[in-house]
Amino acid sequence: MLVAPVKALAFLLGLSAAAHAAVVTYNWNITYVNTNPDGLMDRRVIGINGQFPPPAINVTLNDTLVINVVNQISEPTTLHAHGLFQTGNNQMDGPSMVTQCPIPPGSNFTYTIPIQQYGTYWIHGHNKGHYVDGLRAPFIIHNPAEVYHYDEEYTLGFADWYHDEHAVLLDEYLSIFNPSGAEPVPKSALINQMLNTQYSFEPGKVYRLRIINMSALAMFHIHIDGHDMDIIEVDGVDVTRTSVKTFPISAAQRYSVLVTARNTTSNNFLIHGDMDPEMFDTVPDTLQMNITGTIIYDATSPLAPTELIDWGEFDDAALLTPVIPMATSPADDQISLTASFQVMDDYINKATFNDITYVAPKVPTLYTAVSMGNLSSDPQVYGTYSHPWVLKHNSWVEIIINNNDAGNHPFHLHGHVFQVVGRGEGVYDGSTPYTYFNTTNPLRRDTVLVRSLQNVAIRFQANNPGVWFLHCHIEWHLQAGLATTIVEAPEAMAGILTVDQTHFDHCKALGLPSSGNAAGNQGLDLTGQNVGPNLLPGKFTTKGIVALFFTVLSAVVGLGTVVWYAQDEELVLGKEDRR
Amino acid sequence: MGNSVFSVPVYFILFRETTEAAVIVSVLLSFLSQVLADDHRMRKRLSRQVWAGTALGLIISIIIGATFIVVWNKYGKNLWANSEGIWVGVFSLVAVVMITVMGLAMLRTTQIQEKWKVKLSKAMDEEADRGLGNSSRRYALFILPLITVLREGLEAIVFIGGVTFTTESKSIPLAVVLGMISGFIVGYIIYRGGNKMNLHRFFTASTCLLLLLAAGLVARAVAAFESYVWGKLTNAQSDDGGTYDPRYNVWALTCCDPKNNDLGGWQLFNALFGWSNIGSIGSVVCYIGYWLIVIGVLVFMKLKRRRIARANALLAVHESSNNSSGDKQSLELEDEKKIPVGETIQGDVVREDHPVELKHL
Repeated sequence: MLVAPVKALAFLLGLSAAAHAAVVTYNWNITYVNTNPDGLMDRRVIGINGQFPPPAINVTLNDTLVINVVNQISEPTTLHAHGLFQTGNNQMDGPSMVTQCPIPPGSNFTYTIPIQQYGTYWIHGHNKGHYVDGLRAPFIIHNPAEVYHYDEEYTLGFADWYHDEHAVLLDEYLSIFNPSGAEPVPKSALINQMLNTQYSFEPGKVYRLRIINMSALAMFHIHIDGHDMDIIEVDGVDVTRTSVKTFPISAAQRYSVLVTARNTTSNNFLIHGDMDPEMFDTVPDTLQMNITGTIIYDATSPLAPTELIDWGEFDDAALLTPVIPMATSPADDQISLTASFQVMDDYINKATFNDITYVAPKVPTLYTAVSMGNLSSDPQVYGTYSHPWVLKHNSWVEIIINNNDAGNHPFHLHGHVFQVVGRGEGVYDGSTPYTYFNTTNPLRRDTVLVRSLQNVAIRFQANNPGVWFLHCHIEWHLQAGLATTIVEAPEAMAGILTVDQTHFDHCKALGLPSSGNAAGNQGLDLTGQNVGPNLLPGKFTTKGIVALFFTVLSAVVGLGTVVWYAQDEELVLGKEDRR
Repeated sequence: MGNSVFSVPVYFILFRETTEAAVIVSVLLSFLSQVLADDHRMRKRLSRQVWAGTALGLIISIIIGATFIVVWNKYGKNLWANSEGIWVGVFSLVAVVMITVMGLAMLRTTQIQEKWKVKLSKAMDEEADRGLGNSSRRYALFILPLITVLREGLEAIVFIGGVTFTTESKSIPLAVVLGMISGFIVGYIIYRGGNKMNLHRFFTASTCLLLLLAAGLVARAVAAFESYVWGKLTNAQSDDGGTYDPRYNVWALTCCDPKNNDLGGWQLFNALFGWSNIGSIGSVVCYIGYWLIVIGVLVFMKLKRRRIARANALLAVHESSNNSSGDKQSLELEDEKKIPVGETIQGDVVREDHPVELKHL
């Protein structure tokens, strides 16, 4: 328990050139709260310290963040700082059964995270769908030497909102009565998990708006009446200032925009977040698809009318260029992932990568990696249904994600930003060479949207030993199994990662093993591993053959009876003819 | 059911009804040529009456039929919102009953001629007995074919209505035309005294096909019901197709889907045999059940006929020994049914009464 803070202190003392490097501590009791965020329905949500919405985290580059978590809800939970690299710190990344056993109810856990990057991020629960029930907040890392100049900043966390608890909706979603896999449609949308947010603007000033999409499902189209937006940041990566009238933001993505205030205070203006109906299976008439916040120049000024806007096409990789260039490298390894949805042999519609649906192992994948010695480089030890990919330290990896589904999916890789090096149509089968973008400085981000029946090629260097989850950030789809596990440089983990005893204590408290392979056994013996459903055979089974046999038999006997019945006639006719 | 261009059941309905009508007309004409062999003028006049009555009956039937079918298909269908799987199922079952009845009736097509000879002779005898006025007798040979054709026509229309509820309207005209043509041909063959044995075999084969169609329709009707219920359970927005209730499923193949337009063969299988790549307990059990019912009915009918035939045989033996007495006698059988001499038995083996005029037909 003492190792982490001591390490943090040593790290701080080691820095000499940093402007300021503080230890920032948050004490977070994760609690239930009863509230009515959208004014339509009282419900139980997950908040922090009895408050909802949870407070934002604000730290500065080179700080060390310490979050003392006490789990006071009735389910085990974890926290994941979305977009944080966690270099050498994989055990603090958070996804349940990937890098830790979840924190049992009543227990506590301390996340110690050295802040070695800056930008707009968010922090959210990463067990079950806790973040959909409200366990999410903006996570802002300030840069003492920002690239762009602005006078003030605001954070806008857009999210869809449901009235039922996630567990209830999940039961309906993953059910034999939902063979088409229709995701639950939200009931409303919120900004910063509230309504009626206001942002004060003064003429002549430049404002940075940090825009986060914290949704379970929805994609928002952002536009501001009477103002253009200049995109300056994408998922924590500064980009060349690019002016747009509107842009789409998918679940888990972040953008920062600069907005120049108008010269007069004669009107107030609305900031719009319009949910994209394409993401929803049906759009009920009662669903208000838009959420707005108000830019206030003068409290007495009238509101300017809403402008009609054409969403148009938006290609982030084509439009935006990182300020700090990073050339791409040809890949040493290429991984091909094809995402699709179908009814499996448990008769529930599940998601698959390459026909495998993700099922969490009995032992968190990270604990397997640090306890299996030489075998940690053998993908088998991580189990079949955690769908592991083992990468060699410092190799360049290219992943082609094919979206073979009718819906759009935002895919997120933990522990990295990756370069978006190409986009294509359909499923890339490798029969022809891939057409990459013609650029020496491709866009980098950590959550990329792959539209329906398209593919995307991403590249990164495996320079961060750890177990990194790669999954669709539509929470329903993650629960349905659209995930895979990147086991990066297991051979280097032992020297770099320190997994302290609280981790293993939590596994024990939950009755889970904390070492060994995916089944908790030694070596390659995977008997007892958690197994998932498989594809339907699509062929005759024994009972089908028996049923078909009796069906045909009954028809044959029936027709035979008709012929037998008609035989007497023949005899009669025969007699008549002879008469 | 069948093609979208040619409805097989409608074809057979028209076929059978036209055959019967053609036989009736041919019996009348034969009667005329037999009886009025010497009086050409009378024969010609009465023949024209027969044809006139037939033609008028045909025209009226077609007008009523066409009107009914158009109205029925346009408005009657909407009354029951026929897109609902449940109504497709119900009316499919109605069609099953009609096709089955039609199919079983077809097995006795070759007896139509005998039946009508007897009926006609009876009608003649009755008229002679009643001594009706000249007028009705003069036009008897106009009225009889008119009424007969009308009756057959209306029967056909009712059958078509029941059978085409779930089919496309454009599959009807071609089937009607071809059915009538086939009926004329066969009626003519019967008139000419064609080989009854071959005809009988043809009709037996037709019945087999019709019953197969009906059985397939049972399976499809049950599948339509189940699909309706499953759609409600899963809040399906449209006919999802391909999803099914896994709790009651016996086979689910990725191949061989009759709804897949690329593979025409499986569509045909579905139309003929009710085949689907998704088989449920319900559709399989009902399909087998249909055949069991048909088998049961056929066995029952045949055993009944044998019993009656045996009784007739005994009667014939009895009669030949009593020929001189000429008394009308009756025989009591085990099941208490009295079968008086001189009456025909309903639809089964026909006892001839040796009517003198028609003996040589």
